[in-house]
Amino acid sequence: MTDDERARSRSSLLSPVIGLGSRAATATLRPVVGLVDAAAGAGVRLQRRAVDRVLESDELERVVIVAVNSVHIQAAFKLALESEGAAQLVDSLFDSGLIDRLFERLLESEALWHLIDEIAASPAVTAAISQQGLGFADQVGDDVRARSRKADDWMERAARRLIGRGPKGLPPEPDASIP
Amino acid sequence: MTGTTSGAVDEAPVGTPPGQALDYVGLATRIVSFTIDAALITLVDIIIGVGAALILSLLHIPHDLRVVLTAIGAAAYIIGSIAYFAGFWATTGQTPGARVMQIRVVTPDGTRVRPRWAIVRCIGVILAALPLFAGFALILFDGQRRGFQDVLAHTVVVEAPGPSIADVSRAKKRAIYEASRRQPPALPE
Repeated sequence: MTDDERARSRSSLLSPVIGLGSRAATATLRPVVGLVDAAAGAGVRLQRRAVDRVLESDELERVVIVAVNSVHIQAAFKLALESEGAAQLVDSLFDSGLIDRLFERLLESEALWHLIDEIAASPAVTAAISQQGLGFADQVGDDVRARSRKADDWMERAARRLIGRGPKGLPPEPDASIP
Repeated sequence: MTGTTSGAVDEAPVGTPPGQALDYVGLATRIVSFTIDAALITLVDIIIGVGAALILSLLHIPHDLRVVLTAIGAAAYIIGSIAYFAGFWATTGQTPGARVMQIRVVTPDGTRVRPRWAIVRCIGVILAALPLFAGFALILFDGQRRGFQDVLAHTVVVEAPGPSIADVSRAKKRAIYEASRRQPPALPE
């Protein structure tokens, strides 16, 4: 008889004894387990009720406002944002491909394009675009006007030089060295 | 180049206010203004000409009648061009090109040009262009920057700074917006 066969025959002899023991332990501990479950359930209910009361109370709002206005919390938040860890967090967010996936899904979304169409067709946007166009035309017009006035003076000076007459009340020629 | 008006303004809300210094406009600015006007006239004429040609192509018109129609078209072109310039000079003093360049045709005392003088000025423009545009060269040498047409019609071309088209559009939109804000909200029935 090998060692394995010997161990197997020993365990087959012990198994009824072990099963009897475990059944006895279960029967003994059953009332205790029920008590513990009931206590845990009561605890969870109490906790939920406490959370509900806190959420419904004005105190939470006050605490949040005080916390947001707190100089220490703001300083801590600023420090956290400026920390190397925050930068790494942003890097890892982009490296994870989550942002790419988000934009892919957004671009596939019908709702997004519908929203863009609505915005593009809105009177405010069309008015802004037309104003932008007019503003550009204005700039071009101002530039052309300024240049044509300079050209007026230049042509007059050139014509007067050509016939040997001096400038007559014209502004002096701009100095080329002045930018 | 700047001059000063002295005469009274007898008419024309479009003219330059009395006593205000007139800034006379030179040749280059007037060429740009005229180019814009020429482009506008040509654009309108092309549209009308193409339309007329398309209509006439559907009809079988004898050659003689075609010549007459061409002559009528040419006359209409000349009359239309004169009406365009004379009309604007005699009313606002500004053609669209002049509006863009912010210049205005007025009498030497800053008042509006009368219609008959506006027509004389048109004829003056044609006469100035005939001798290789020599009539316009006068602008370069005259103290008030007047060309032949200005001397003939007793006019000057002056600066007329005003709000741009974009400014006018913005002001209109702002007025509409403020008017809509002033209106009381409709009461629920």
